[in-house]
Amino acid sequence: MRATAETIDIQEILNRKARRKDLLRNIIPFSGLVFIFVFFTVVTQGKMLSSSNLTNLISQCFSVTIVAAGASFVYAHGGMDFSIGPSCGVAQLVAALIITRSDLPIWLAIAACILVTVVTSTMVGATSAYLRVPVFVVSLCMRAICSGILTVGIAESDIAIDYARFSGFNSEVLKAVVLLVVIGVSYYLFEYTSLGKYEKAMGGNVVTAFQAGVVVKRTQIAAYTLMGLCVGIAGFFQLTRTAGVTGGSGSGLEFDIMVAIVLGGFPMMGGSAARLRSVIIGALTITILSNGLVLWGLDYLLVNGVKGLLFLIIVAITYDRTNQNQMNFTSA
Amino acid sequence: MLTVKKISKAFGPTRALIDVDMEIRRGEIRGLIGENGSGKSTLASIIAGAQFADSGSFELKGKPYAPRNMVGAQNHGVSMIIQEMGTIPGITVAANIFTGRLEEFTRFGFINMKAINRRAAELLQEIGAGDIHPETLINRLNFEERKIVEIARAMVANPDLLIVDETTTALAQRGRELLYRLIRRLHEENKSVLFISHDLHELMSICDTITVLRDGIVIDTLEKEEISVDRMRSLMVGRELSGSYFRSDYDGSYSDEVVLEAKRVTSGILEEFNLELHKGEILGVGGLSDCGMHELGRVLFGIDKPITGSVTLKKNNVQVKDPHVATKNNMAYVSKERDREAIILNASIKENVVLPSHRQLRKVLGLITRRSETNLTNKQIETLRIKCRNGKQICNELSGGNKQKVVFAKWLGKESDILILDCPTRGIDVGVKAAMYKLMTELKAQGKSIVMISEELPELIGMSDRILLLKNGRLQAELRRSPDISEKQIIQYII
Ligand SMILES: Nc1ncnc2c1ncn2[C@@H]1O[C@H](COP(=O)(O)OP(=O)(O)OP(=O)(O)O)[C@@H](O)[C@H]1O
Ligand SMILES: [Mg+2]
Repeated sequence: MRATAETIDIQEILNRKARRKDLLRNIIPFSGLVFIFVFFTVVTQGKMLSSSNLTNLISQCFSVTIVAAGASFVYAHGGMDFSIGPSCGVAQLVAALIITRSDLPIWLAIAACILVTVVTSTMVGATSAYLRVPVFVVSLCMRAICSGILTVGIAESDIAIDYARFSGFNSEVLKAVVLLVVIGVSYYLFEYTSLGKYEKAMGGNVVTAFQAGVVVKRTQIAAYTLMGLCVGIAGFFQLTRTAGVTGGSGSGLEFDIMVAIVLGGFPMMGGSAARLRSVIIGALTITILSNGLVLWGLDYLLVNGVKGLLFLIIVAITYDRTNQNQMNFTSA
Repeated sequence: MLTVKKISKAFGPTRALIDVDMEIRRGEIRGLIGENGSGKSTLASIIAGAQFADSGSFELKGKPYAPRNMVGAQNHGVSMIIQEMGTIPGITVAANIFTGRLEEFTRFGFINMKAINRRAAELLQEIGAGDIHPETLINRLNFEERKIVEIARAMVANPDLLIVDETTTALAQRGRELLYRLIRRLHEENKSVLFISHDLHELMSICDTITVLRDGIVIDTLEKEEISVDRMRSLMVGRELSGSYFRSDYDGSYSDEVVLEAKRVTSGILEEFNLELHKGEILGVGGLSDCGMHELGRVLFGIDKPITGSVTLKKNNVQVKDPHVATKNNMAYVSKERDREAIILNASIKENVVLPSHRQLRKVLGLITRRSETNLTNKQIETLRIKCRNGKQICNELSGGNKQKVVFAKWLGKESDILILDCPTRGIDVGVKAAMYKLMTELKAQGKSIVMISEELPELIGMSDRILLLKNGRLQAELRRSPDISEKQIIQYII
């Protein structure tokens, strides 16, 4: 190339522009989080930062973040799961029954809680992989099944457990430790091992992944199992905090996760642009948002409506439409 | 016909075109050549309205010309056949041909499908592809036929300037002849063609003038009498290239040890097909595009399960039942359908190159470090001279030839023992092609085995120890390496 002063100048300008664009793309989700936090702190006149609310905030963050970490594997390969809310409810039901109706040790209740969600999620993944049914359909069916079980389980009355007996599970320290471990392990698996990289590859192009030797079905199912594990953990902590099971146990979880995914800038269809950090940021943002809206005085029942609206707006702005056919008209 | 004035275009920090000037005369067949990533497709797509220039302007037939999109350009008389697959899946051949022009057939909100099909049939007949039925779903056509449908689409508006971007390497014998005929016809009608290709011999025989691009700059324009293969090569690369292109030896020997065996395989058009691949052998497979050679590659790698028969790795007596087994036993496969099957376009070069090599890179606890990934990738970028900013660049942003290099790189990085290559050098420039042939020869010397499925006869003749020629799913002839094999001879067997 002619290395005249002019060409070097132009190159320099282009490089600077590209760097700025990169930076912008990286900090937008972060600044969204910061903005929402500051905004609600101001409009609630600091109520946001009161110690009782902070405790609240931590436990709300806790379940969404943990589940989001697991769900990132599913969303990375382009999957989804609408059943995690109700299945989380069923898991809590089973654990509560063990606690109230038997003398079995607590750890068994925990294990049962986790087992339920691991089984339901794995079944969703496996059914869709082996029977070649869209996961969307399978998970809706699973959702209906779990809702049914939950309704029958609490048909006579809601089940309450002894709050005091489980207060240890409500300590912020324990939660912080569990949260950090889950995030740490997920981060490692997602960014530094074959599992996460294969999920992303499948989200990018399943055929290529298959031809490169990835065992597509197994990898898909593993993601669901992992997510089930996270849902189970979150479920048990939820049970001990609310000290009981109601028809609303676990509900809305799948939607919170979906909003978290898009808010953090994680691609809805998965693929190479998926980052675990986006999901975590998204999970924090959505919890602070719901919490802040209620504090601000919005009726609790309207919060979901607001989330839905937000979801639609963000998807409309960020959804990657290039996979569709219009792309094919331009050559590379 | 067309004047190009000071066209520039940058993608982020990559400057693809820098002040390009060019003039195409009426009735002229202009060749456009350059290394992979030199800006040929970018220039072509700007002329055809698929992209916009950052600066500069055009004049068409003496008037200013600034197309808004591809249909707009077509209406001005400029059509392009693009390098990548450009058909829309899920709709018929006719609908593909008339994409973007359906309103011409619409009355009172209803589309007159009959008229569309009739026009499409006429058009296909005109270009010599009357056997492609307009009502067929495009997905049922093979690679070559789909490309022919694109040619028909380019001819819809009777263009004054036809741009052909790197199309011939996607075509086999029949498609190529069809295209050459079309180009000759346009020339006789005093219309112009801009022809992009990496096949220098083809360029020699077709073009009147040849423009050479290097790193987005027009280096030179050669008139008919100045054109020679050597001249083009050195202008493209910017230095003299010496040495032979293909293997120079005619010693077609290989070990007696069979490494891969297909026994009585029936799959798709293939019928009871047998094949033995030896250690240290380059086995060429040739034929027309629907002869079953692409199916053969897929079956050998376990992508398609044969209806009868089996493919066995002789060393451990393992049946290749899926690509997982194949890769685990150090097999590699380059698909012909690059963008659909062989590359993740939205992922980085690094992610693509590393994908089949996880097993080698894994450390304790399954850890794959960034550094090991980067090292592997950078080594391949260097060996194959992939033109990119760095390994983190998204493959979608690469030029056609460089995408192909990424596909080759991922299997090269894995150090496979058995390579099944379906049209591996498609769209790759001469310099890198020579390097790839050299690599294949080295692999052979190291005792690796290669199945090279190819539509390029010179490549088959130049590289193979043994050539299998297929016709309608059956073995038609088997030729041993010798200096006497001619393209004519091969064509006789496969047609
Ligand atoms: N959409 C894009 N984004 C970023 N860079 C791009 C994009 N399209 C092309 N480029 C860059 O522009 C340069 C020229 O690309 P172009 O496709 O025109 O090359 P080409 O001459 O057609 O090469 P080939 O022979 O491989 O087809 C390359 O360096 C490529 O990486
Ligand atoms: Mg190109």
